[in-house]
Parts: sequence; C-alpha cells; structure tokens
Amino acid sequence: MEVSVIRSCSQATNPKTELGFKDSRFSFGKFNEKLFFRKPNSVSFQSPLRRGKSGLRITAQAAQSDPLPKSKSSTKSKTLNRVRLFAGLPLDVVSGGTVNQFRAISAGLKALKLLGLEGVELPIWWGVVEHESMGKYDWSGYLTIAEMVRKAGLKLHVTLCFHASSQPKIPLPEWVLDIGKTKSNIFFKDRAGKPYRGCLSLAVDELAVLNGKTPMQVYQDFCESFKSAFSAFIGSTITGITMGLGPDGELRYPSHRGFAKSDTVPGAGEFQCYDKNMLHLLKQHAEACGKPKWGLGGPHDAPAYSELPTANTFFKDHGGSWESPYGDFFLSWYSSQLIAHGDRLLSLASSVFSDSAVNIFGKVPLMHSWHGTRSHPSELTAGFYNTATRKGYEEVAEMFARNSCKIILPGMDQSDKYQHKESLSSPESLLAEIGTACNKHGVGISGQNSTVGAPDGLKQIKKNMLSENLNDSFIFQRIGAQFFAPEHFPLFIEFVRKLNQPELHSGNLPTKEGTTTATDSVHTRSNLSIHMQSA
Amino acid sequence: MWLDQSKDQLNLRLTIGCSLSGKWILHWGVSYVGDTGSEWDQPPKDMWPHGSIPINDYAIETPFKKPSKDDIFHEVKIDFNPSSAIEAIDFVLKDEETGASYQHKGRDFRVSLVNYLGDDGNMIQAKSSFGKWPDAVEQLPNMVLNVEASCASKNENRRLEGFYEEQPIVKEVSVGNMVNVAIRKFPDAANIVLHLETDIPGDVVVHWGVCRDDAKTWEIPAVPYPPETVVFRNKALRTLLQPTGNGSRAFFTLDEKLDGFLFVLKLDDNSWVNFQGNDFYIPLSSARSVQGQSNSESEETSGKAHADGIINEIRNLISGLNSEKSLQTKVKEAKESILNEIEKLAAEAYSIFRSSTPSYPEEDSDADDAEPTINISSGTGSGFEILCQVFNWESNKSGRWYMELKEKASEISSLGFTVIWLPPPTESVSPEGYMPKDLYNLNSRYGTIDELKDLVKSLHGVGLKVLGDVVLNHRCAHYQNQNGVWNIFGGRLNWDDRAVVGDDPHFQGRGNKSSGDNFHAAPNIDHSQDFARKDLIEWLCWLREEIGYDGCRLDFVRGFWGGYVKDHLDASEPYFAVGEYWDSLSYTYGEMDHNQDAHRQRIVDWINATNGTAGAFDVTTKGILHSALERREYWRLSDQKGKPPGVVGWWPSCAVTFIENHDTGSTQGHWRFPGGKEMQGYAYILTHPGTPAVFYDHIVSHHRSEIGALISLRNRNKIHCRSIVEIVKAEGDVYAATIDDRVAMKIGPGYYEPPSGPQIWSLALEGYDYKVWEASS
Repeated sequence: MEVSVIRSCSQATNPKTELGFKDSRFSFGKFNEKLFFRKPNSVSFQSPLRRGKSGLRITAQAAQSDPLPKSKSSTKSKTLNRVRLFAGLPLDVVSGGTVNQFRAISAGLKALKLLGLEGVELPIWWGVVEHESMGKYDWSGYLTIAEMVRKAGLKLHVTLCFHASSQPKIPLPEWVLDIGKTKSNIFFKDRAGKPYRGCLSLAVDELAVLNGKTPMQVYQDFCESFKSAFSAFIGSTITGITMGLGPDGELRYPSHRGFAKSDTVPGAGEFQCYDKNMLHLLKQHAEACGKPKWGLGGPHDAPAYSELPTANTFFKDHGGSWESPYGDFFLSWYSSQLIAHGDRLLSLASSVFSDSAVNIFGKVPLMHSWHGTRSHPSELTAGFYNTATRKGYEEVAEMFARNSCKIILPGMDQSDKYQHKESLSSPESLLAEIGTACNKHGVGISGQNSTVGAPDGLKQIKKNMLSENLNDSFIFQRIGAQFFAPEHFPLFIEFVRKLNQPELHSGNLPTKEGTTTATDSVHTRSNLSIHMQSA
Repeated sequence: MWLDQSKDQLNLRLTIGCSLSGKWILHWGVSYVGDTGSEWDQPPKDMWPHGSIPINDYAIETPFKKPSKDDIFHEVKIDFNPSSAIEAIDFVLKDEETGASYQHKGRDFRVSLVNYLGDDGNMIQAKSSFGKWPDAVEQLPNMVLNVEASCASKNENRRLEGFYEEQPIVKEVSVGNMVNVAIRKFPDAANIVLHLETDIPGDVVVHWGVCRDDAKTWEIPAVPYPPETVVFRNKALRTLLQPTGNGSRAFFTLDEKLDGFLFVLKLDDNSWVNFQGNDFYIPLSSARSVQGQSNSESEETSGKAHADGIINEIRNLISGLNSEKSLQTKVKEAKESILNEIEKLAAEAYSIFRSSTPSYPEEDSDADDAEPTINISSGTGSGFEILCQVFNWESNKSGRWYMELKEKASEISSLGFTVIWLPPPTESVSPEGYMPKDLYNLNSRYGTIDELKDLVKSLHGVGLKVLGDVVLNHRCAHYQNQNGVWNIFGGRLNWDDRAVVGDDPHFQGRGNKSSGDNFHAAPNIDHSQDFARKDLIEWLCWLREEIGYDGCRLDFVRGFWGGYVKDHLDASEPYFAVGEYWDSLSYTYGEMDHNQDAHRQRIVDWINATNGTAGAFDVTTKGILHSALERREYWRLSDQKGKPPGVVGWWPSCAVTFIENHDTGSTQGHWRFPGGKEMQGYAYILTHPGTPAVFYDHIVSHHRSEIGALISLRNRNKIHCRSIVEIVKAEGDVYAATIDDRVAMKIGPGYYEPPSGPQIWSLALEGYDYKVWEASS
C-alpha cells in the first residue's frame, strides 16, 4: 500500500486525467488539493507513447496501440488525430491589465479541457501591453491567463499582435498613434492617400521612426520582454507563438479596407504602395531596373477597392496590364517587399525564441476571391504574385521554411459551393495550392476558420483536417457568446467527438482487474489511453 | 468500531462513517441486481436517510451527522431491505466546504450487498473484522466503512457477510493555525515573561532569539531558558513547546532591556512557519513602558500571527480485504456525466459572455458612422438605469396608491429616473403586500388590478420601465391541514403541503429541505418541486404579459437557491431584475469590520447562482456608508485594493446601490441611514458605478431638488453601472473619488479639491458635506 499526495495536479500527467474525471461528475470546484491514492502498480507507466510527440497528441493512436503496438504511422493514410485542436480566446480577453469575464473564461477552459482540446490560443496585443509608452510593458493580465491555462492543464498558443483590431476595438499603442498623427507615412496609404492605422507600413521596418528606434527594434524588444515575462511558461504551457505580420496579423497588404459585406461581391482591393516610404522604395527599384518612369506610382489602371476587377484594365483576363512587362515589374517588387517583411519578422522571432522549445508560426491570408480568374486580383493586391501562370506561394513557403516556421492558414471552413458565383472564388483550390507549396518545402500547416464563419463550416474543417492541407494543429476561432451558444456549442461538441471517432469504436475496452477504466468519449486524450493500459 | 442494530430484523443497516473533520456529504446511489450498465440509480425513497436531497435522477446526497456532539466520527446510516434487488451501493464523499469529491482509487466506493451466497441457512451473524494494520506512518483517524447485517429468517440462502472496511483518504488542507504571544511584565521584577502558545498539532519547536535594536539581529539571550531548550549553532535557541490540551506552549523569561523577541516555528525538518516570509518579531519595549505602575496587573501585548502552514494530513491506509471490489467499466456513465458537465460549463460561459457583450464606447476616428450605440455590459437593464422605489411602509393606507402614483408619473420621470419599483401587487395577508396569498389576485391595498394596469401604462407612456415586487420565497395558505396547520393553498395555484419546505416545523410541509434560509412567518415554497417552479414561472410570465411589468424586484431571495431564480428569469426574460439578499455585515465587538469581503461575497455568490441574470441590492455598501458617515471613518470606503468596498467594487454591473428602503427606513426603521447624512449617501451612490436606487421618502422630502440635480449630473455625464471609479482619498473625515475622469466628488467634512490636471474641474453641485465637480472639456 502506498499513499501519494499530489499537491498540484499539473505536475504529473496521470493525475490530471483522473482529477479531471473526478471533477467532472461533481463540483468542478478545484483542480488541485484533491485527495488521491492508488495502488502502486497502477502508477507505473511503461508506455513509450508518453514520450515523443505522437504520444502526446492524440488518443486513438495510443488506444489502438494498446494491445499490440502497431506502428500505423508508417502508412500513408492520415488520421484526424494527428492534428491538435485549439480554440482561440476572445480578442479582448485582457484589457487594461485585467482579465475580462474571468469566470466565463475559467468555465470555458474547463469545458474545453473536458472536451479534450489540446489548448487555447491567446492573442496578445501590442496596443494593450505596450500601450502607454515605448518600452513600458504590462503583461499582468496575460500572465493571469497563462496561469489559468496551465492550471486547467491546457496548452497555450500565443499570438503576438502588432496590429489593431477594429472589433472589439483594440488600437495600436497610444504613443505609436501619437507619432502617426504627425508622421502619417509610418502607415500604409492607398491611392487616395488615406492611411491605414491598423499596423505600420512595412516600408518603415528598418527606419528609425519610433522615438529613434526602428519598428523592428521595437518588435524585438517586445518579443524579448514577452520571453522573459513568460519564461516560466514557454516550452511547457506555451507550445506555439504566432508572430504578427501585418493587418489582422496576416502577411499581406491592407488591400481591403473596412468590413466586407457578406452579401456583396467583394472587389479586387487596392494596391497599398502610396506612403512616402513605399514610393521611395519603388522609385529606387525602378531606377535600378533602368525604368525610372515606372517608379512614379502604382498601376494607374487598377480598379478601386470595391470595384470589380473588370472595372479597369489592369486585371483583365486577357491582355490586362498585369501580364505586361510593367505589370511583372511592379508585381514582382510589390510581392517581394512583402516577403522580405515576413522574412525580417520571422527571422527575428526565430532568433529570439531559438533557445525555447516552441514552434514559431506566421499567418498567411486566404485571398480566395477571384481565384478563378487568370490574374487573381485579390491575391495580387494583397501582395501575392500568384496567377494562372505563376506559382507565387512557392516563395512564401520557401521563406517560412528558411526560418523554420510553420504557417497558419485561415479560412479552412470555407467551401467553394457557398461562395459568390460572380466572384469566381475558390477557397478550396487556393488552399490546396498553398498546401502543395508548403508540403513541398516541408512547412507545417496549422489551420484556422475564418472569423466571419461559413455554412457547414465544421464539416469543411473536418474535411481539411483529413487532407494534406493541415498537418500541425487547428485553431478554432473563437470562444465567446456565439461559441458557447446553444445553437453552436452542441455542434462543436459533435465535431470534436467525430474527430475522435476511431476512439469511440474501440469503446469496448478490455478491462482487467485492478485497472482503472474510468473513461469517456470526449476524454480521449493520450493520457487516458495510457491510463488504460497501465494494469 | 460501532455496530448498530438495525431497527427491525428485516432490514440491514449500512453505516458509513468518516473520521475526518469537516462537513461531509455522502453522494450516493444504488445498482440493482442484473444491471449491466454501470449507471447509478436513485435509491428507493424508503432508503433515504433524513435530510437527503435528490441530485438529478440518479443519486441523492445525504449529509454526515455526528451521532453525538463529542464524537469525532460523522456517519450516515442507510437502512435497506435485503430482499430488494439492490446489488450494491455506490458512493463518493464530498467535502461540503470545498465541493471536492473523494473517491476510492479513482472510482466510486462500492459496497456489494449480495456477494455471498452461503452454503446453508446459517442465521448466525457473520462478522469478520480486521484489526488495524501496523501503521508505519502515524496513528491518525481512519475512514471506516462498516456493514452490519442481520439476516432475515426467510432468506435462507443468502448470507450477507458483515464486513468492516477502512478506507484511506488523503486530504490536503490549508489550515489556519494561530500563534498567540503574550507578554507579561511584573512591576517588581526585572524580567519579562513571554508566553507563546499555538494550536498547531504535533511537536512544535520554537527557533528563537532576541534582539537589542531595530535591526533585528538575532542573538542568544542569557539564561534561564525554558525546559527542552538547546542552543543551535550559537545563533539561536530551540525550544520544544510543551503540549497542552489542544496545542502546545512555552514560557520565556527575558531581560527587560531587550528590544524584541524573534522566532520562527519548526514543525519538522522541512516545514517552517514564519510571518509572511519574515521572522516573527515581538517588540518588548511596550511592556517596559508600564514599569512603575503600582498596580500588580500586567500589561499584555498580544501578537497574533497567522500560521498559514499547509499541513498535510495524511490519513493512513488500512484496507480490509474482505470484499473484493467488483470492477466494472463505467464508460457510459462517465461519458454522459462529462458531457453533462461540459454542457453545464458551456452554459455558464455562454450566459456570462452573452450578458457582457463587449462595449465599444469609442468609435474609429476614421469612420464617418453616426453616433455609436453604447452597449454597457450591464448585468441587468441598459447599464444607465436609475431606480426609484415609489412606495414606503405606509403607502397601502390610502387604498388608492396606484391612482396617486399615476398623477405623479410625469413628475417622477422628469427627475431623471428610468426604472420604477412598484409595491407587491398580490392579495396579501398583511396590508403592505409581503405576505401573498392568491398570486393571481392582484387586487391589493394599493389598488385594483385595473388601476395597476392603468398605472403601468402611464409609466410606460412617460418612458419609464416598471418593476413588480414579487415574493417567491413564501406564500400564505388558504386552508389548514388535519393538524390545524395552515399549509394548503387555494386560488388558481391550489397547491398542497408538498409545496411547502419540509424543514420548517411550523408549517409541516412535505416538500424537500429548503434550499436557503427560512422565513418563519409564512410557509416557505419548496422550489425544488417541479410543479411549484413551473407554476411560478407561468405566473411571472403572466405578470409580464398581463400587467406589463418590465421586470421584478425579488423579495427575500436568501430563502431559496439562486439557481431557481435563474430558471424563473430565463423563462420570464425581464428587462431588469434585482434581488433582496439582506444579511448582517461582520462586526467584531460591536464595531463593524473594515473588511466586508465575506458579506459581499455572499451577495456575489447569490448573483452568481442566478448566473448574473439578476442584480442584487448592495447591502454591503449601505452598511459601510453607515459606519463611514456616522463615525467619520471615511477610510472604510476604500477596500484593501483601493476599490469600493461594497458589491459595487466587485460586480458593479449587478450591484443595485441604495441607502434606504421600506424596511430599513420609513416607519419601520429596521436599519435607518444616519440621519441628516442622506445626501452624502446619495452623492456617493449617484456618482458611482452600480445602478443606484432612490427611496420614495427622500424624493418627497426637502432632498428632492438635490437628488434631482445629482441624477441629472449622472445622466449628463453618462455615468453607468460599469463606470470607472478612482478613489483619490479615503481618510478619517473625507472620501474623494473621480469617476470616468469626468466627474469628481467628495463626501465628508474634510477638505478636498480635485487637482487641475488634464481636466479643468468646475464645481457642479454642493451640499452639506459633499461636493461634486464636472470636467469641462
């Protein structure tokens, strides 16, 4: 006989499972300070599955290998279970140093843990942490969240947001906006000269525009401060970090402004090369190419934001300017600027976190409108030189591979059949295209759903999770009233359960005397599977 | 250990005892013979021990009771009939305080009742018991599981072997222990006697020294030392405390010239107790100052230190081997209970997220949108509500209060209120309306149902929302039962005594135990009865539809579980709801404690139980205002964290602040606001977050214009239930705060002027001991 006192459940894997289960029937009061005992022979785990990533991931593998450790991983067929599932926390989960809706978050975390999710995604805002003045960071609210997540036994994927959010309204740091009041050229500008205040222009990355520092330096200081503030969590609770790369955190130009109305056909978007610094770079480049006249501005025959691509001649399917030598000159430059910007930020992140056991991610948008045309106008204005005749995502994937970063692709819930017919949109084929490029360069793909949602979205997500398009993790966006609403949450439960379907079929588990066989469908984590073979 | 005889020979009695301290609940169910699944069934009613309450439909919970006062054992006795098809009793233990549940080896405890088939009809009680195993750890109480069986003569083949089993439990508790230090100085001696006593169990060693200056440098004093003292590395002394009845103590004789006594407590090699990371320090100089007093009494300084040592009470293991646990998979049950739990958690999260849709008060400067609609994440109402209670204890006297109010409707509206709280509308045994009888009869001493409808219509007409005062806790009966007790109802809801809670002997109800406190003047409604709940929900919906009430004020919600209120409100969907959860604040020796967190926690807990569907009157704030104003202790208005000390400091969107109502004031005066200081109270609640409520008596008094001015200031500056308050000053005679950086206020006779900073402040209102400023932009 042996007594074990477990002070905190987070220290051992197995207790977590058991406590979680125990809690589940009753109070859900506390995850620690529980009594706890067992026969010594049920404590010993000899399972090799606990080590290595595959074991840590999902149940079915562990469960299947219960009687005989078959190595299914050698087969080509993918199981859903390779993908770790996360859910995003509300964008405004922290404001002014405090956690909003603390109780809802903590209940939500417990629900997600019970549901068997791997973890949650936490957006950390530049405008919240370094709100007041340069170099003054307030991590307190986010640290609270990290602690809650750790206690809940979940993992944390952190997204460093160097952009602003319009809803809920989370602007850039006040001091940055103050600088922007006098120096509006730190922002992207469109042809009309209207600045985009959602993030800094990539053209100022290396210019000392922020109180004598370059944005790159400021981002680096931010990352380093983050690293030291969260050192206790990085590598353990925090398993992934997404580096913000532009508008909405995505690697792109803010080619679409404002909210896209779902009932109208989206326009082509506008090129964003009109701030002083971008124009300067363009001019230099044109002169270097011996075409100084091409460096005076962006394409004159591109349509405006909401206009159809056909409204002007640049994107015309046949004989459009995009196919002309000028078009190639401009688009090459425009897209290479974006990739260089992504490269700068990702290599910064990679070097800051090089000694930490975390994966670095960057998000690439799914500009699927007009994908069916030859010129792919939405992708071009967003900065991806990907057309019917040019595989533009190769360079992007190559850049990610160079920095050993994984890619996050949103829009995994979008399916072709629900797109506007007129927009010739095809999220599925675009996704496949990017997926192919990533696979070719060995870049891991993590999926997200679009924030606007899509009909049959969960079904589409599941389909993507089975495909080559997704091989790392999936981050479901996002927890909130709608997520937990009676019209949505049961569907989500069903979705998660279906992902674990193989496990359910192996439900009639052999039970041996002395084995603790407390198990459940949603509880299909590896912990449990190991648990079952522990007799 | 203790072998009870069952009451009659046909029944068996299972006794489950627990020797751990604390409040324990047995959460249990049964399995029938032939059940293949592992789900629990609810035990048949005749097995329920007294005080059991059903949990869903598969379990019941029975609190442990002490057989006698001095007993350290708690036990639950379950009688059952061996001829029933019950195969086993399954249970877990729940700690009532923490809600934690305890299982056996990760699964439920299970007591098999039909395991053994005897060879013959042996009537002899078989009892096998196992002595305690030699225990290597230490002698600590055990969990005892004890089944005693006396077999009925008819069941020849079945012999239930009595068994006796002790189950180990490990409980980790955070224990608050006390260390008391008393210093005695006898005037005719040059020595000080220091008495140290603690209730920490076990051997406690004091590791101590003295110091001669403020630097608190440890040194070893001169002899004498207490018994059992050793010198530790020439730096300190170690004294083993001598055991007393419930702890241990020691006396130290010290030279009076010493400055202080330093110590830490050592429990074992790894456990030390210190004072918030530092040594305990007991100044001795205060004892010296009493030198020369002729009196032989001693001065006593008492340093209390909280030793928040975490003591692991390890309960040892002795496990009987008599009954092998029959192991069964519980896959399905576990699945479902986890799914249930997930759904419950999701519902909780949903209700909070939904009720606090994020607010975006600022709009993008780039956007040319029209005026944004401000959505304050309020618990109830729009967040900008100001309540007016438009009746007092005497309002029923005229018999036509509704009509009188109707005439005042536009006047009330013009003062700037948004929500009107009307008196209880139902037929009532008492004229004030709080002893309702027939819930559907709305002819009361305030007027007829038609007059009420008419009034509500006029109030709506001037843009006011209307709350009905509803009494859900109790209801007066129409008829007596056979014992002459009034507990049978008539009218449209003709309930019988099953609707009355079972634990109030006055009314002999047949319902379950009350889920809250009992109100002893009338039968308390058992809200756990589905029919009663359904009827009440229907009634609330009827009030909304028929009368046009927009919401309700809930009387005496201490009387029943807040979760029922949630059900009621979810069904009737009021625009605004507020509950009266009124209990006493904490006092020590007649003086109100500064920290009223426990009090506001109870109110917050109630709001929580309603899932935030209702607000609650901020009784805490009222109580603290009483002390602050009456005793000039304005420092009370800031809690330890510099926030408002009432419910409003913790959950402003659900706090309904008030200074007086028909019970506390009016002609009853149960807890009257300090006279003459009402305007300070209003200056506080009408400038602060929360939803303020103004009492009728005050708007018909000379305070009316001042209150009106405060209300319009609140509205003008768009102060809402979640406005940000920053306390600038909380001192003896003055309290000052700024709200949303737009309004500054002070109450109390002391001086305060808001400093000129980014805002320029101009005095907006001024009255007796209060001032309010507005920022001019």
